Amino acid sequence: MSRGDYSLSTFIWLIIAFLVIYPLSFLLVESFKIAETGGFGIGNFLEFFQDTYYLKTFANTLWLSILVLLTSTLFGIPLAYILARYRQYGKTIFTALILLPIVLPAYAGVFAFIIFFGKFGTLNLLLMEAGIIATPINFIYGLHGLVFIQALHMLPFIVLSLAAGFTQIDPAFEEAAEVEGASGFRRFITVTLPLCTPTYLAGAVIVFLWPFTDWLTPLILGQVDYLPSIAYINIAYHFTDMHRKYMGIVAVVVSSFVCIALFLVARWWVERKKYTGLSKGTTSEGRVIEPGILVKTLSYSYMGLTAFIVLLIPIVLGLSAFSRRWVFQPFPTYWTLDNFKVILSESPLLIQNSFVFSAVALIFGIVFGLPAAYVIVRTKVRGKDALDFVITLMLAFPGMAVGVSYLLAFWDTIPLATHWMIMPLALFSRRLPYFLRMAHSSYLQLDISLEEASEVCGVGKIRTFFYISLPLLIKGVLVGVVMFFIMAFQEISTAIFLYRGGWETLPIGIFLNWHRGMEFGIAAAMAFLMIVITFILLLIISRIGGSILKAAWGPGSR
Amino acid sequence: MAFIEIRNLLKHFKKVVAVNHISIDVQEGEMLTLLGPSGCGKTTTLRCIAGLERPEGGDILIDGKSMIAEGFVQPSKRGIGMVFQNYAVWPHMKVVNNVTYGLKMQGMSKKVVREKAQQVLELVDLVGLEERYPGQLSGGQQQRVALARALVRNPKVLLLDEPLSNLDAKLREKMRFEIKSLVKRMGITSVYVTHDQAEAMVISDRIAVMEAGNVVQIGSAEEIYQRPANRFVADFIGTTNFIPGKVLEIDRQTETIYVRTDFSEKMLCKAGTLASITPGAAVFASIRPEDVDILAERPQAGENVFKGTIVHKAYLGNFLYFFVSINGTMVRAQVAHYLPQEEGQDIFLSLNPRKCMILL
Repeated sequence: MSRGDYSLSTFIWLIIAFLVIYPLSFLLVESFKIAETGGFGIGNFLEFFQDTYYLKTFANTLWLSILVLLTSTLFGIPLAYILARYRQYGKTIFTALILLPIVLPAYAGVFAFIIFFGKFGTLNLLLMEAGIIATPINFIYGLHGLVFIQALHMLPFIVLSLAAGFTQIDPAFEEAAEVEGASGFRRFITVTLPLCTPTYLAGAVIVFLWPFTDWLTPLILGQVDYLPSIAYINIAYHFTDMHRKYMGIVAVVVSSFVCIALFLVARWWVERKKYTGLSKGTTSEGRVIEPGILVKTLSYSYMGLTAFIVLLIPIVLGLSAFSRRWVFQPFPTYWTLDNFKVILSESPLLIQNSFVFSAVALIFGIVFGLPAAYVIVRTKVRGKDALDFVITLMLAFPGMAVGVSYLLAFWDTIPLATHWMIMPLALFSRRLPYFLRMAHSSYLQLDISLEEASEVCGVGKIRTFFYISLPLLIKGVLVGVVMFFIMAFQEISTAIFLYRGGWETLPIGIFLNWHRGMEFGIAAAMAFLMIVITFILLLIISRIGGSILKAAWGPGSR
Repeated sequence: MAFIEIRNLLKHFKKVVAVNHISIDVQEGEMLTLLGPSGCGKTTTLRCIAGLERPEGGDILIDGKSMIAEGFVQPSKRGIGMVFQNYAVWPHMKVVNNVTYGLKMQGMSKKVVREKAQQVLELVDLVGLEERYPGQLSGGQQQRVALARALVRNPKVLLLDEPLSNLDAKLREKMRFEIKSLVKRMGITSVYVTHDQAEAMVISDRIAVMEAGNVVQIGSAEEIYQRPANRFVADFIGTTNFIPGKVLEIDRQTETIYVRTDFSEKMLCKAGTLASITPGAAVFASIRPEDVDILAERPQAGENVFKGTIVHKAYLGNFLYFFVSINGTMVRAQVAHYLPQEEGQDIFLSLNPRKCMILL
């Protein structure tokens, strides 16, 4: 273990301690504060677990998580299977589309679906005009709507996990099953699905944890009785009522515990059951089937339907953004650019803040993430596995936990919250694991002998990193960079607790507009703007990424 | 003083001892090969010399300077060149940039760098391919890029980690000679690692046979082949028959040992005597197949003649290979001449006493 490695590792631990461990511990400590006495005790927790209302919200959230997971899994399995196994046209476009819900902010979906599926939304109005129904159907205001919207938002995680799982299965396993007589559906249930369990679980955990952190969607739909939503209300609204504030904190802490526990159990479960066999190694494509006409038609229809629903979001928001007073009409009648004019003239700061904060957070992410990946993958310093674990664990925390903990921890003792820097720092803390995982796996794929060869040529470790490692890591790192930026850009759960006048970002702007009951069109316009910006970013980065790739790998690649 | 001195080197990975207190000297200008099966510690030893592994104990001296005991010296400061098993040629750099990378980082002038690159590329016969990317080269060409890169800085020591194992047989054979002549011409002290004993015998001045972290024998190819130190070496290098038996008597004057085996009361063994053998000891009489002669009829005179049945006969082009059963004990024999006898027939084996070694 060289001294340089140790210093680097220590430095990284210090940052983690300051930005993660300290605030979260503060949060935990605060949850034990009794408002009436000013002392400490478990009174808040006792109250939480004895109060029927709080218990109900807890149960609701659990139930919601289960439903969301089941729904997205049920609808996701066919999609994943189609993507992984069938030769279809339009697979690439469809794969890009299926990613859309991830890069779209969650609240964008809610607005779009309210406009389209609401009581006097497009669908209901069309159906009534056609005479099919007399009174509007309640499509989304209720548990079913909530499940639908959240399942759709998390669908990509399930589809991608399962598709990856299906592709990775050595065809020999399934062929062996068929030779033994199990074909079609039976084989799918008994062999294919179980073999996907590890990859599925990776996505399933993320999906299950989502309802514990999504406080905004239920609120917009008028459903308050969910853990993250009441936590938000307690903390943000009742800031003079110390007791309610502490109860809110307790709700956040309980959510966090549930999330972390589930996360760890899933990880333990996956690691415990080994699903790899002693197979020769597969083609990277996995098994590909040519389906029959009926199945093919069904597949295309299903893909089309899913694509339609996903595309509804940007389309509806777009229509709303460019129109005014779109109410009680199936489609907009009055087109205008006024919404955008209002945004750009009255609150250009929103856009600027979003970009600046995300960019600064990104810089932190790269400067911190790359060395951290190096320490975890390449060095043998003690505690590096713990470092990996802690950073990965951050994925499990609800966004609110980060936001609230920062608000509490950096208020009095270390008054960092009074400086705008707190915003990018919080964004960075929340989204760091995404970048680190990408950097980590890129580093794993980088053969260490390439770095060793540089060292034996007389080049020290630091220059080796810049001349050899970095150029070869760029491809994977770039993907992490994009994801990080997009996630930071649409972050609201953390930012909502920390912002002050002048620090609002676009997501916060959307929320405020909706919340103050202003023109729906303006909120929709902002959401649409976010979608467009995200899309442009993706395009630009893929262009740059492509040319860097060309330079890195040369005209002929292996 | 040897150019490379490995003293009491100890390296373990968690609970496994990979290199068990070994000491080896490599003379200046010599090519020493570390030879052994997978997991014997040869690559680990090489990487310790390079500085890519930190040993738990012992020291390595290169040209008189300690690399470990007086402070760990980083690989970049050891003045070595190394060829990796997978070549480790950088895919994002052209051939010429791969080769000149180390020189440029040292700050040499462009002119000098270009000259040296040209020299070494000629040496490895890669002229004309400078502007290509590794992805456009064959395996053999990439390997030569790796070699050129290792040699261009005129290193004090050249380390090669199974550089030929990814090449096809014909190319491997050709490259063995090329590497050997190159290294001899430049007079660089080299350490070579391989599990292929034929390769080791062609390319080395001396071979160090390793097993389970220990050096079992060091010597020239002939020494190791003709006078293996123990059963492991005899078995690992070439093929050997091992016939179990008990020592009957030892005649120190004629340096003969009589062994009783399953099929003979008395078998003569002359070569490879061990001072520590006592009568009654359980030993192996070992003889190489090419030292076993096959005769159609029992000869008039001669020691160690036994009758057996041909179990299997194989035609290998330049020789015939026989598996002969002598009362149940299987003996392999290799003969360079034609024999009409087929499987199932009886035959006579003559085990040359001078080539029959006693091994434990």
